[in-house]
Amino acid sequence: MAVNLWSFRDSLKCFQGIWGCHGVRRCSVPAPALPAGRITARQAVDVWKRHFEETGVTEPDSSSHYIIAHLLGAKTIESLEQGKLTEFLSREKTEQMWQLCTRRLSRMPVQYVIEEWDFRDLTLKMRPPVFIPRPETEELVELMLTDPEMKPGAGVGADAQRTCLEVGCGSGAISLSLLNSMPQLKAIAVDQSQDAVDLTRENALRLGLQDRLQVYHIDVLKDAETVASLCSPVSALVSNPPYLFSEDMSSLEPEILRFEDHAALDGGKDGLKVIKKILTVAPQILTNHGRVYLEVDPRHPPLIRRWVEANVEEMHYVETRHDITGRPRFCVLQKKMSNKGHKLDQD
Amino acid sequence: MYGLSCRVTWRGLRSFFPPLTPLPPGLPRVLAAGKKDLVDLPVLNEDELEEQFVRGSGPGGQATNKTSNCVVLKHVPSGIVVKCHQTRSVDINRKRARDIMREKLDVLYKGELSKVVLKKKEAELRKHEKRKKANDNLERKRLFKEALAADSKPGSDTV
Repeated sequence: MAVNLWSFRDSLKCFQGIWGCHGVRRCSVPAPALPAGRITARQAVDVWKRHFEETGVTEPDSSSHYIIAHLLGAKTIESLEQGKLTEFLSREKTEQMWQLCTRRLSRMPVQYVIEEWDFRDLTLKMRPPVFIPRPETEELVELMLTDPEMKPGAGVGADAQRTCLEVGCGSGAISLSLLNSMPQLKAIAVDQSQDAVDLTRENALRLGLQDRLQVYHIDVLKDAETVASLCSPVSALVSNPPYLFSEDMSSLEPEILRFEDHAALDGGKDGLKVIKKILTVAPQILTNHGRVYLEVDPRHPPLIRRWVEANVEEMHYVETRHDITGRPRFCVLQKKMSNKGHKLDQD
Repeated sequence: MYGLSCRVTWRGLRSFFPPLTPLPPGLPRVLAAGKKDLVDLPVLNEDELEEQFVRGSGPGGQATNKTSNCVVLKHVPSGIVVKCHQTRSVDINRKRARDIMREKLDVLYKGELSKVVLKKKEAELRKHEKRKKANDNLERKRLFKEALAADSKPGSDTV
């Protein structure tokens, strides 16, 4: 049902003016005029919430709340100081509110409007078209951090430096989160988008993690071998690769379709294009018993298990984990013990 | 909200959230909701908790960009509900909701355990066990199906 509505809305794109009108009920709704006198933060929120509702902008509540909170120096409206909302906004803040909310009118995601977002305990800079981290991916990091295999001191060479490789780093959320939580960890991150590489480096600098992170502009689909040659074997490979099915791309909400890099979303006909590539090259990148952690589409886990068993001898499918909404979301695989030059041992 | 159907799910949390174990080294200490040391507060049993999320219809994940990151946590036996939207991270909100829940449970346990509270707990637990049994059965069936599919290739490794 939601799918049909978005297609319908997108067909109205041609009627958008600079105010981004795309209401089904009427066209050419201008943004509310900048108030002549002073208004309070609460009043500004109410004006814009109503306007978002009238023009069909999704999450009218959250959108106006996050924007005002950001302007007033907080993360969420709930964490604002008591009484802040009833204070009058300065002229400058009022203009900023209008400017930011006008961006949201064009269906620009809130994260791009305020140019930042949180991922676990980090605040990251956001910039279109670099993919915005999703809440599910926070769980991917949690999954890795709580995996006994990832604990420092586990396995051979307990004090050895651990390195992990991330494919498709986007804004750097996963790698930076891991680095922040594991002081002994080093990370290598690659992305096919120069914008993503730049943003990841920027976020690393802002968080003071640049010394432990190397970022490279590489397309794993074209240059998988290059990725393998970048690093001596790593103990973990992590990725939130593009995993959407091509046929599902057109039904995505405007926030995603218009502003995020499609290459960060589209995983081909079966959504497995990039995933298969990663798993094919994984044995060359991982140490023995090294693990791959993937975020995938809920339909993928059994498909991946079958495919790996048939096509990647060296990798063993360990388990499927679910996300907070109960959907199968994460695949964990492990590289089997291998003796180079000998037949591969079956674990 | 015009148009979009939202998927609001109450999840029983058997294995979706890792058990509360000592924090891994390097992980910053989660800020306690109150002044008490986390260690003194009652330990949460994830089986007794239900969480509410708004994540949209459809497959979620990359296909959705929703910013409503509010977490609502319910402690089934006591009926205590905690809402947390302090941060923009679902993960952090979930952790903070649990800290707040532990504080509230501490207050509850220290207070007089009236018959009313006990009775309510019993009734909720019975209802919860019934629901859990049904969910467990569904889970078992699902795992069985998945195992069947995985073992369909002749001579494959048994996992």
